[in-house]
Amino acid sequence: MTAARLRGLLSAAVLAVLLALGVLGCANAGSGAAGSFSPRTPNTLTVATAQVPDPGFWAGTIAHPTGGFEYELAKRLASRFGLAKLKVVEVPFHKLVRGYLGGADMALSDITITEARAEHLDFSDSYLKAPPSIVVRPGTEVADINAARGLRWAVQHDTTLKEVLEESIEPTTTPLVFEHQREVLAALRSARANAVMLDLPIALAYAHEAPRQYQVVAQLPSEARLGIALPSGSRNTEAVDSAIRRFTADGTIKELAQRWLHADIEEGGAEGVPVLRDEE
Amino acid sequence: MMLALIEISSPKGAPWEFLVVFAVLLLGPVLFRRFGISGIIGLLLGGYVIGPHGLSLIGAGNDTLPDLGQLGLLYLMFVAGVEIDLNLLSRYRRSAVSFGVLTFVLPFALGVLVGFALGWEALAAILLGSLLASHTLISYPAVKDAGLASDPAVATAVGSTVLTDTLALVVLAVVAGSVGGHRTTLDIAAQIVVGMGALVGYSLFVLPILAGWAFRWFGTERSVRYVVAITAFLSAATIAELFGIEGIVGAFFAGLGMNRLVPNEGELMDRIEFFGGAVFIPVFLVSVGLILNPSVMVKGETLGLAGLFIVACLGGKAIAAAISARLFHFSRSQAGLLFSLSSAQAAATLAATVIGFQLGLFSSTVVNAVLVLILVSVLASTISGSRAAEHVALPKGPKPLGTRVVVGVGDPELALGALTLARRVARADGGVVHPLLVVPESAPFSPKAALARLAEIVAVADVDGQVMTIVDRSVLHGALRIGRSREATLVLVAEPVAEQPGAQPASATAAAGAREEDGSPVPPVAVVRGNATRLGAVRTRLDDDELEPQSVAGEMARRVSSGSAQRLDDDHADWAQLLAPGDVTFVSSELGETLAKLPNAAAGLVVSTVADWLIREETAGDSSELPGDERIG
Repeated sequence: MTAARLRGLLSAAVLAVLLALGVLGCANAGSGAAGSFSPRTPNTLTVATAQVPDPGFWAGTIAHPTGGFEYELAKRLASRFGLAKLKVVEVPFHKLVRGYLGGADMALSDITITEARAEHLDFSDSYLKAPPSIVVRPGTEVADINAARGLRWAVQHDTTLKEVLEESIEPTTTPLVFEHQREVLAALRSARANAVMLDLPIALAYAHEAPRQYQVVAQLPSEARLGIALPSGSRNTEAVDSAIRRFTADGTIKELAQRWLHADIEEGGAEGVPVLRDEE
Repeated sequence: MMLALIEISSPKGAPWEFLVVFAVLLLGPVLFRRFGISGIIGLLLGGYVIGPHGLSLIGAGNDTLPDLGQLGLLYLMFVAGVEIDLNLLSRYRRSAVSFGVLTFVLPFALGVLVGFALGWEALAAILLGSLLASHTLISYPAVKDAGLASDPAVATAVGSTVLTDTLALVVLAVVAGSVGGHRTTLDIAAQIVVGMGALVGYSLFVLPILAGWAFRWFGTERSVRYVVAITAFLSAATIAELFGIEGIVGAFFAGLGMNRLVPNEGELMDRIEFFGGAVFIPVFLVSVGLILNPSVMVKGETLGLAGLFIVACLGGKAIAAAISARLFHFSRSQAGLLFSLSSAQAAATLAATVIGFQLGLFSSTVVNAVLVLILVSVLASTISGSRAAEHVALPKGPKPLGTRVVVGVGDPELALGALTLARRVARADGGVVHPLLVVPESAPFSPKAALARLAEIVAVADVDGQVMTIVDRSVLHGALRIGRSREATLVLVAEPVAEQPGAQPASATAAAGAREEDGSPVPPVAVVRGNATRLGAVRTRLDDDELEPQSVAGEMARRVSSGSAQRLDDDHADWAQLLAPGDVTFVSSELGETLAKLPNAAAGLVVSTVADWLIREETAGDSSELPGDERIG
């Protein structure tokens, strides 16, 4: 091969790269390797959630959230996407899981990923394990499924927990069903119910905040996980997925779980809670 | 009525998921190969079909398949390390290093340029550069089958793989280490340097010793040898992860460390390739297919990215091949071979891409664009390889002496010295040893016990080969027949020393009535007397013509002693003093028989060549084909 031919080859390759770069660069300005995020409101990440405060996940008020796992996660997401502001809106849980996000870019509200919900929403990669758990007043014992069956239960409407309660525990008396989580816990405190079912991370946060009122006595075997909900067909899902994977890899999720949920749930931090199995 | 009582639920659980995966492993490659498309593509697309973007038979929350895929990824990198021909690297190190640097640096620079031009963060751009810079020797089996394995251009490309893959994995380690959070550049650099130091030390120095020890002590069971290999790469991967380095880097270095212990044509390599090719690596490819999303793949953005990656990668590789061919005076067809062997993107590229995805550096759009690149590069590599191979002349000259060594023994108790020597000769050439038990035609016994004993000794000698058996009139004749049928490059025959009762030297059992050969190549033969597990001083007492490079004894002496054999004078007489345990003495055939009669002859090893006329007599009238009923195992 002559030197001239070699130079020609080199020039052609460099030109081809530059040309392709130019074309693609114009077409996809601002699109990063990890996906791009386009907020509904310029420079603002709008997040929907069902209730503030929500122990462990959201602290403060809806107008002035002050902390919590999901609030901090939302802040980190805004920072990663280069958005200066974070706005939080309140949307009832049953509306969230049916795809109504109140104009928000995403919902962060202890939402378990399910196929039924995925018909109305897009889910991000999951950020936390969330097996169902049994919460009682301290002193109530739940040795096995049979013991659990005889308890008076309370559970939140339109949640996966209601289905789990009906299918795995099969209570002998009809459970009390409430629209909001706070009503479920109020029923437990007031002894109208003597057991409630919550996602494990939420249950651990409640028990840590009020150990005289709540005790997590068991968890059920499950692969349930929490995820960020986005409007169906959202173009932001890739960017949110990449962000969750990055936060998992760089230890952000672990750090937030330890700080706000007081347990590294992903790495076996909830192994102290016994697993209740149906022996039949 | 009865039917109404039968409940059939929808399939779920582990057995169903495994069934789905294995159905893909079975059908994916078969269907695609029918259309002349690489089986890899079938597995990737099969993963898509069963995955969350396809029929969703394996859901998004499934952990089992990704975990198995992770094991497959480690396995893949281990195989990449263990398969590399270090002898070719050593022989062509200058051209291999030059080409390795060029074929890494050019695509790397172009990839980084692409990343920055697209506005990517620095870590993502650097990772893109490194994944375009590595390569997988997809077309090597075809080039090897064409008889071009020892062509200088092929050897250069194969040797360069060590460099490109190592550099790519080091870049990956640095990138992955930098994702760890809030550390300074100095912290990251220190962590990587210390981690890589520990990993290299463990993989290249400690691991071969531990594995060699394990092979010797537990190696009689074939399954145990395999488990030792698996444990080896998992241990290196664990050590890598202790230092925050990706496990695949550890697995690759474990492969390099175990390279000499696992010869490419050996039994253990056969098993590693079998399980890897049948299950582990395909499962990894299927798990990658789960990420495949055709709706993303056919998007303009994905195809645009793929186009850029293809230009940067194949353009860089082509320029590197052209420059290297000019530097080392390779022909145009040889330049084509360089390009073909260095352009295919598969193992390291896929590994780095998946890790970039897991770290949140890459979106699924980038992953899908890389998958398009892989598809195109594999096609380009295969097509250019077959075209170039047609125009490259076959290299002349014999294969290295240690490529395939057959060790024939009549009595297993005599085998240790010959096997130890064979292992050393074969290891120097990255070759393989075939132990052979020759049962006399008149033997009144079943060879089962002798076979078991020989298998034990083979393990003690740290030889990776399955023991074969043949019924024949003499050890020499049997070994020669197997040697010819296996295209052996050397045959060693273990003979007793004189004081061992009832022993008959192989040469003494030679058949009379010499006839002409049938034309098939007859390998060189040497007789080994004595036993040793470790070799000590190496001495030669050969005629001048036997020290010539083509002389078998001289060649063996050079390999065993790494060129530092002591040459004895013609008038040397104090032989008894030289036969210390483990010492090896290469002598002419007459002197070998004389030394065998010395009282302490069994202490050291005496190796003597077999005269050509005797070999001709032994093989006269033989065919290189073996009648099936004569081969017991």
